[in-house]
Amino acid sequence: MTAQIAERLNYQGEDVAMCTNPLSDYFAMGGINPRFESNCTALWRGYVGSWEIVDDRLYLIGLSGTLENGTDASLATIFPEFPERVFAHWYSGTIRLPQGKQLDYIHMGYGSTFERDLFLDIERGVIVATRVQHNGVAESEGAPEGYEVGAMTVFPRADKGGGGAA
Amino acid sequence: MIYVYWYLGIGVAVLAVVYGAHQLTKEKESESLRELLEAVNPDRKKLSFRILNNLVAPVLAAILVVAVWPVAVYMKVKEMLKKKDGAGVEEEREFAVERQHLLERLTVQEVEKREVVTDPLKAAPELPFGHLNGAWKQFLNGKPDGGELWSFSARWQTTWGRKELRSGYVMVQNGAPGAHFLTVWKDLPEEADAGERAKRARAGDVAGWLRRQAD
Repeated sequence: MTAQIAERLNYQGEDVAMCTNPLSDYFAMGGINPRFESNCTALWRGYVGSWEIVDDRLYLIGLSGTLENGTDASLATIFPEFPERVFAHWYSGTIRLPQGKQLDYIHMGYGSTFERDLFLDIERGVIVATRVQHNGVAESEGAPEGYEVGAMTVFPRADKGGGGAA
Repeated sequence: MIYVYWYLGIGVAVLAVVYGAHQLTKEKESESLRELLEAVNPDRKKLSFRILNNLVAPVLAAILVVAVWPVAVYMKVKEMLKKKDGAGVEEEREFAVERQHLLERLTVQEVEKREVVTDPLKAAPELPFGHLNGAWKQFLNGKPDGGELWSFSARWQTTWGRKELRSGYVMVQNGAPGAHFLTVWKDLPEEADAGERAKRARAGDVAGWLRRQAD
């Protein structure tokens, strides 16, 4: 298991890491689910989505990844009639935006902890509440700022079973 | 005294058999599993843990087997029987709508009217369930003759204890809920301390994380 590359969110004019995958719910609810290729242990889902909040509504505005047939994936791969912007009306839940310095690095999923978490509570694609949770203060001045993945194993094409140390 | 020697001799023989069987049947710890365990418990990387885990614990176990080998035989037989029954593997419960989850009987037209998605930026089809309109139509295609359409809302606890809210619509035939279409699927917060909850949700909830990755 390896820490996972986060989704990206444009929130209040800033590009931040988003440790939630709203597209997973879309696929689970019966939406078009192309077969993405996972090319490294830090991205088992095989894609990175770019999101945006406009007037408290959650939009998917970009997607990068590779399909199992080798072609590049984009927003149009999943939403052919909405290649520029997709309203995430299917998503209800909490979006987590880690903020500040890293407290603990956990080499699994989105497990690392940070000084603060900004949570966006969303109902059917619309923000209904926001809250900040304070998790502590980093002991070291040199603690890394912001979400990052420490290490990963990159799979050579057509050989996803092997690979070096992660 | 001869009985004690016999007892200990049998204990040594049992130890040899148990050790040999363990070596033959044990599965190599995969790199990903090792990483997972180390992420959950960083102490596994420490020298003290390795000495305890790889040296002290096996030696103590060996002494115990020789000393109380009838118990070891009993445990091994029990383990083998359990494996044979397949009872050792606990699988994730599959969600299904139950009668107590049903809310309201509706017609297709009523559902479609209330579920039309509108967006000021026109980033969703103005259709029932928006981007999921195709999935909805597919769901309706499976409607059985005489089947009813009901809304439902269910609080669900997974095998690993994660609480979820699932809402949507379900086909009901002869009073029995069948296939369902989800409109809401979200984790519910625990009642416990918020900080601990968030930490657990992020780090320890492997099952939840796997669900989120399962696309």
